[in-house]
Amino acid sequence: MNEVQQLIEESATRLFEDFSATNGHELMESGQLPAEQWADFLADGWLTTLLSEEEGGSGLGLAGGCMLMRLAGYHKVPLPVVESLMAVYLAAKSGIEYTDELIVPMIINELDNNQLDIKLYGVPWARHASSLLVVFSRDDKTQLSIIKSQDMTIKPGQNMAGEPRDDVMFEAAQLNNSRDLPDISIQQIESWLALSRAAQMAGALQRVLEMTVEFANERSQFGRPVGKFQAVQQQMAVLAEMTSASICAVDAAIDHLATEQEWELIAGAKITAGESAGYAAKTAHAVHAAIGFTQEYPLQLSTRRLWSWRDEYGNEAQWSAKLGQHCFDLKTDDLWSWLTTQTG
Amino acid sequence: MKKLNFTPVLTGDKEAALREEVRTFLTEYGAFNVSNIIDSWSICDPELSRALAAKGWLGMTWPSEYGGGGRSYLERYVVIEELLAAGAPVGAHWVADRQSGPLLLRFGTEEQRQHFLPKIVKGECFFAIGMSEPNSGSDLASIKTRAEKVDGGWLINGSKIWTSWAHVCHQMITLCRTAPPSDNRHAGMSQLIIDLSQKGITVRPIITLAGEAHFNEIFFDDVFVPDNRLVGKVNEGWSQVVAELAFERSGPERFLSSYQLLEAAIKELRDANLTQQAEPVIGQFVARLMVLRQMSLSVANQLQEGKLPVNEASVVKDLGTSFEQELPEAMRLILATEPRLSAKGGVARLLSDSILKAPSFSLRGGTREILRGIIARGLGLR
Repeated sequence: MNEVQQLIEESATRLFEDFSATNGHELMESGQLPAEQWADFLADGWLTTLLSEEEGGSGLGLAGGCMLMRLAGYHKVPLPVVESLMAVYLAAKSGIEYTDELIVPMIINELDNNQLDIKLYGVPWARHASSLLVVFSRDDKTQLSIIKSQDMTIKPGQNMAGEPRDDVMFEAAQLNNSRDLPDISIQQIESWLALSRAAQMAGALQRVLEMTVEFANERSQFGRPVGKFQAVQQQMAVLAEMTSASICAVDAAIDHLATEQEWELIAGAKITAGESAGYAAKTAHAVHAAIGFTQEYPLQLSTRRLWSWRDEYGNEAQWSAKLGQHCFDLKTDDLWSWLTTQTG
Repeated sequence: MKKLNFTPVLTGDKEAALREEVRTFLTEYGAFNVSNIIDSWSICDPELSRALAAKGWLGMTWPSEYGGGGRSYLERYVVIEELLAAGAPVGAHWVADRQSGPLLLRFGTEEQRQHFLPKIVKGECFFAIGMSEPNSGSDLASIKTRAEKVDGGWLINGSKIWTSWAHVCHQMITLCRTAPPSDNRHAGMSQLIIDLSQKGITVRPIITLAGEAHFNEIFFDDVFVPDNRLVGKVNEGWSQVVAELAFERSGPERFLSSYQLLEAAIKELRDANLTQQAEPVIGQFVARLMVLRQMSLSVANQLQEGKLPVNEASVVKDLGTSFEQELPEAMRLILATEPRLSAKGGVARLLSDSILKAPSFSLRGGTREILRGIIARGLGLR
């Protein structure tokens, strides 16, 4: 990490820590946008930090952006941080005009004409967005278009963490101002979105591990801290193993951005984080016991996110099937030479 | 709570060229002189070890003054993972190259280094591990084998067990009690290099459930070891053993023991047109393998930087051995083949070999429960 990245990490940490002292979660879960926090996020200019300096950003790129997303996951920020960063990143790549009102990205695979008739399921934060950034492929090109929220019908929904995941219906919506996204495929954008969730999950896993270790050392039963019991230690060791595997997998995927191995490592990261999420939540709740099952205790803010995020942008089974299919598509005996391209 | 560090590392052109060199060597070497290729690093073929020595692939990371290659841990990683993935029977030199040599470099005397390292590098001196005893498995600090101080050296009495290739190896680094047990259980132990051709040594083979004959029990009856074969400091053997663990537990042998089965299964399923159902299962295991490679390579890089990532090595070993044990369990459910001990080859034999050998994967080099205990200590729970 260079010095600029370190400064950015420190200031993002400060901001996200401040958020945790507010009522942001209650607002979000009751269906509102935590407006003050969102305003703080905008005021600090975070939206454009991924963009190059020529584009008016801080030059973090997708790799540095993942660091912010990991922090947002760690601090369970109740804002569309990931979605807005990705949308602005894609918008800038296409040169399309956008404001600093909230836009969220959405992918549609194939499009034949200029008119959109489609129902999209579970679009993050759509109800609070001024517009949707719709990415699609047409004539073998990847394109995007920004559609104003008045041109769609939104039915609010929530994931298990209470985050907005809305159903969006387009009826004869017109795509007037579409732009090309040169040298980027739809599959690539899909994998970037999966990586952004995996990065959040890596942060959330770290948080769950830390909370659980702290709790196990403080909570006493049978006259000693529960963390002193071997049965508990053995489970928590695995929790630490899976957490560090997830962090490593995400870091490796970040290192392979813009290489031929990009999607493979992202698949590995989303699968690893997804598998770890279930184990982490199960173990953390077992160690915390009944108090962790309450709304009042903050563990649920992390575990409900993990349960939700593991299914968003492709779960373990979907990404595994894709990787597995690739293995079968390789020529006979090529598995090892393919695997070894991933470490240089 | 100590944070676990698995910062990924990318290898470069040098390593890529080396990888190709190993592949060319393996192609030219031809078929290995073994009946199976599961867990190939527990199979011994001194001839192959000497051929690898001739290529400069033993003692690769050691200084050239001892005949070593002066190469990086990343280069060594590339060579050993290529050999393991090909199922090469590298067992003869494995311990000497992986941990005995590095131990001597760290704690040995100059005379010991001059004497042993060039021989190891040439594939002429194989080392065995002398840790477990009949009544001391996971509880290593309870060992009873005694080294009694006598004029000019030590007199060894006791026994060691589960000693792979003791009947082939030349030397054994043996953990002995050199002071009576005290309140500090980890005090009073020392490491001594025992020449296995010495008088007073009896080696008794132990056959594994898979029918292999690499294990032994080894008895010491007044075996004399000269003073200059003490490794490091007297009574500080325990901390030296712990330092060895970062080398012993983090390598690709901790997740590639049953890799041959994965390759063969993919081929078999493809030929039988059974790919669609199998895709998620194959993909899941491939994803785990991808991440394990990244983690193991990260530890190799930390060793290169002079660190001793013992906790990280425990993580790699626990996750890695789970992977190599669970692989045959998953493959048998997607392959339309029953495991068969009598099969000459193919997935039926690979399934049989990997299921029968799997229990040892998480026992050798520190059991799963011991590893998790170490990790829990790193978390601040113990």
